[in-house]
Amino acid sequence: MFNKVTSMHLAGALAFGAVVAASPAGAQTLNMWGPEKIADPAVAALWEKIADGFEATRPGVTIEYIAPTGTISNGAVQAAIQSDAGPDVVLTNSGIGRMTTVVNSKLVQPLTADYEAGWKDQIYPWLYEQLKQPFDGEIYEVPDGLDALAIWYHKDMFEEHGWEFPDSYDGFLELLQKIQDAGVQPIVAAPNNTGSAGHIFGNVLQVTAGSDVMGDVVSGEIPWTDERVVAGLQAFADLVDKGYIQPEMAALNFDAGTRLFLSKRAAIFVGGPWFIGIAAGADYPVENLGYVSMPSNLEGESIPTGGIGWSYMIPTTSKQPDLAREWIGYLLSDEVMKMRAEDPTSSAIYPRELEGVEPATPVMKDIFDAAAKGVGYNPSVYVPGSTIDTYYQVIQGLIGGQVSVEDGAAQIEAQMQQAK
Amino acid sequence: MTSEAAAGKNRSGMGARGLTHATPAAGAAPPVGEHGQSQVWLFLAPAFAVYAVFTLLPIVWTVVLSFTDSGGFNTTARFTGLENYEAVATDPIAWRALWQTILWLVYHLVLAGGLGLFLALAIARLRRTQVMFRTLFFLPHLVSLGVVGVIWANIYDPYFGLLNSVLDNLHLGFLKQGWLSDSLLVLFSVNVASSWQGFGLYMLLFLAGLQNIDTTLYDAADVDGASSFQKLRYVTLPGLREVTTFVVSLALINGLKGFATVFVMTNGGPFYRSELITTYIYRLAFQAQQHGRAAVLCILLSLFAITITIVFNRWRRRIDQ
Repeated sequence: MFNKVTSMHLAGALAFGAVVAASPAGAQTLNMWGPEKIADPAVAALWEKIADGFEATRPGVTIEYIAPTGTISNGAVQAAIQSDAGPDVVLTNSGIGRMTTVVNSKLVQPLTADYEAGWKDQIYPWLYEQLKQPFDGEIYEVPDGLDALAIWYHKDMFEEHGWEFPDSYDGFLELLQKIQDAGVQPIVAAPNNTGSAGHIFGNVLQVTAGSDVMGDVVSGEIPWTDERVVAGLQAFADLVDKGYIQPEMAALNFDAGTRLFLSKRAAIFVGGPWFIGIAAGADYPVENLGYVSMPSNLEGESIPTGGIGWSYMIPTTSKQPDLAREWIGYLLSDEVMKMRAEDPTSSAIYPRELEGVEPATPVMKDIFDAAAKGVGYNPSVYVPGSTIDTYYQVIQGLIGGQVSVEDGAAQIEAQMQQAK
Repeated sequence: MTSEAAAGKNRSGMGARGLTHATPAAGAAPPVGEHGQSQVWLFLAPAFAVYAVFTLLPIVWTVVLSFTDSGGFNTTARFTGLENYEAVATDPIAWRALWQTILWLVYHLVLAGGLGLFLALAIARLRRTQVMFRTLFFLPHLVSLGVVGVIWANIYDPYFGLLNSVLDNLHLGFLKQGWLSDSLLVLFSVNVASSWQGFGLYMLLFLAGLQNIDTTLYDAADVDGASSFQKLRYVTLPGLREVTTFVVSLALINGLKGFATVFVMTNGGPFYRSELITTYIYRLAFQAQQHGRAAVLCILLSLFAITITIVFNRWRRRIDQ
C-alpha cells in the first residue's frame, strides 16, 4: 500500500507528466488528483483504507493518489489535465466559477447520465437542482463537500477577556473595537492567495447586503454596483479604515494569515470546516477553536457563506473513464461516507444527510448546527471564472487601499458583463 | 600576363589570387560537392528538427492562436481576426503590466548589475579571501527563484518577517513598511529578491573582466598621479566595456523572464501593482484559459525584447565608434 500515496515534489504542475507507473499486464491503475491533504499521514491512512475497500472488489485495480500542486484557481489542475498524462479523476476546489473555467475549456466530461442513473439520489435534492443551473442542465461535477465559511476564534482568549459574540453587526463592530483596545489584532485577512481572499469579504458582504441579494448578485441578476452591494463593500472598507483589518494584510498569503491567527496575535479568522485540519496540523489545540456565524443587523442573515467546496471531476483526458465512474460511485456509497464522517480527520459537510453519524470532533457539531440554519453564498465559488481574478484583486485593492469601493464594484461588474 | 595565367584566370574567373585560394590548403575545409551538400543537410537535420518542433512551431502556433478564441487544447478555436489585439490594446491591466515590466528591467539592471559590479570591484584586489567571498556571493544564484520567493516573502512578512523585526530592534520602527502591500514598494521589493538571486553571476563575469585588464595601465596611472576614482573612471570601466555589454544583455534577458518571484511572492498583487507581462500571460492562459489574448501578449513581449536588443546594440555600436 505504500505506493498509493504518490507525493509529487515537482517544481510546477507543468512538469506533471511522469506519474503513471508501469503496470503489469491486465492491471489497471486509477490516478486521482487529491485529496488536498493526502500528504498528511492521518489523511493518507483514511484514504488508503477507502482504496483498500474498492480494490478488494476489483482485482487488478490500484488506486493512486496524486498530491495536488494547486487548484483550478491557479491553473494547476488545467495544466495537469492538459499534460495528457494527467489524472483519471480530479478532486479539487470547485464551485460555478471554477467549473466554468474547466467546462468552457472542455477539460472535464459531462456526468449528467450518471446522475440520471442514480447519483442524483445520493446528494441533497436542492444540490442536484443547483448543479443543473449553470450549464443548461448538463452536470460536470460530483460534490464531495460543502463549505460553510464563518468565524473561527480562540475560546480561551474570548473567555479571558470576557468577549462575547453579539447578535448584530453593530455589536460585532463594538466587539472588534474592544479586541483592538486590548492590543490584539481583531481580524486576519489573507488575500494574496486566490480563494482565501473571499472568505472574510464574502461574509461581510452577506451580513450587510443579505443572502438573497448576494444570490442575485453572483448570478448576475443585479449588478455589483447595486447600492446594497456597494454598502457591503463599504462595510468591508470600513473594517480596513478602522484598522480591524490592516492594509499590510494585502500581501499576506493563506499560510501567513493562518500563522497570525494560530499564534494568537489575531482574534478572528474566517474559514470553513477544513480549518480544523489546518489548525491540527499546526499543533493548535482544536478544542480551543470556536466557530460562530458572523452577526448581522438583518434578521436571519447571520448564517455562514458557502457553496460547493470540493467536487470530483473526470477529465476529458482520463484514460480510465469507466473505472473513474465506478470509483466515484463507490465514494458516494454510505459505507465510505460514514467512514469519512466518523474519522478524526473529517472536516467536511457531506453532500447528503448522513443518519446516525457522530462527528469525531465537538466543533464539527457546531458547524453542522450552523449549517443547518442554511448556508448563503460565497462569491468565490459562484461568480464566473473570468470574473474571479478581478474579484480577488479588488479585495486586495480594498485592503491595500489601491482601489475605491465604487471603482472596485464597477470593475467586478464589468467582468460580470463580459462573462455574459 | 602569361597564357597559363590567363587561362587560369579564364577557368576560375578569379585571377591569380583566386587561383591560389582555389587549391585546398592543409587544414582548410574541402569543397562541398553535391554529395557533400546532402551530407551537410543530413547532419543538420536532427538539430533543425528539434529547433523546428520546439522553437519555430510554437512561434507559428502562438501567432495562429492570437487570431482565435482558443480556450484550451480541447476546444475548437474560432478565427476572430484582430479581436484579441483590440482587447489587449484596450486592457488597462496589460498596459500596466507592460509599464511595470519596463520598471522591473530597470530595477534588475541597477540592483543586480550594479551590485554585481560593485562587489566585483570590492573583492578584485583581495588575494587570500577572494575565493571565499566569490563563493559566498555566488551562492544565492544556486537557489531556485521559487525558493527565493518563499524566503523573501517570509523576510518581508509584516508581522513575523525578519526585516521589520530588525528595524524594530534597531529602534528604526518608523521605517517599518508593508513591503509587499504598498503600491509604490511592492515591485521594488520583489525585484530585490529576484536581483539577490541574480547578482552573483554578474559579479563573476565582472571579476573575469577585471582580470583581463592590463595591470600596467594602473601602474601608468599611478605614475601620472591618478586618484582611485580616476583609475576607475579612465581605466577600469573602459576595460570592462565588453563585459558590461554582455552583462547588460544578460540582465535584460533575465529581467524580461521575471516571473517566479512575482508569482510566488505577490501573485501580481495587490490589485495588479506587481503584475508583469509574463505573469499576466500566465494568468490569461492558464487561469482564465484565454489563450488568444495570452498569445497576443507573448507576441508583444517578443517584439519588446527584439526592440530593446536592437536599440541597445545600436547604442553600443555608436559608443564604440
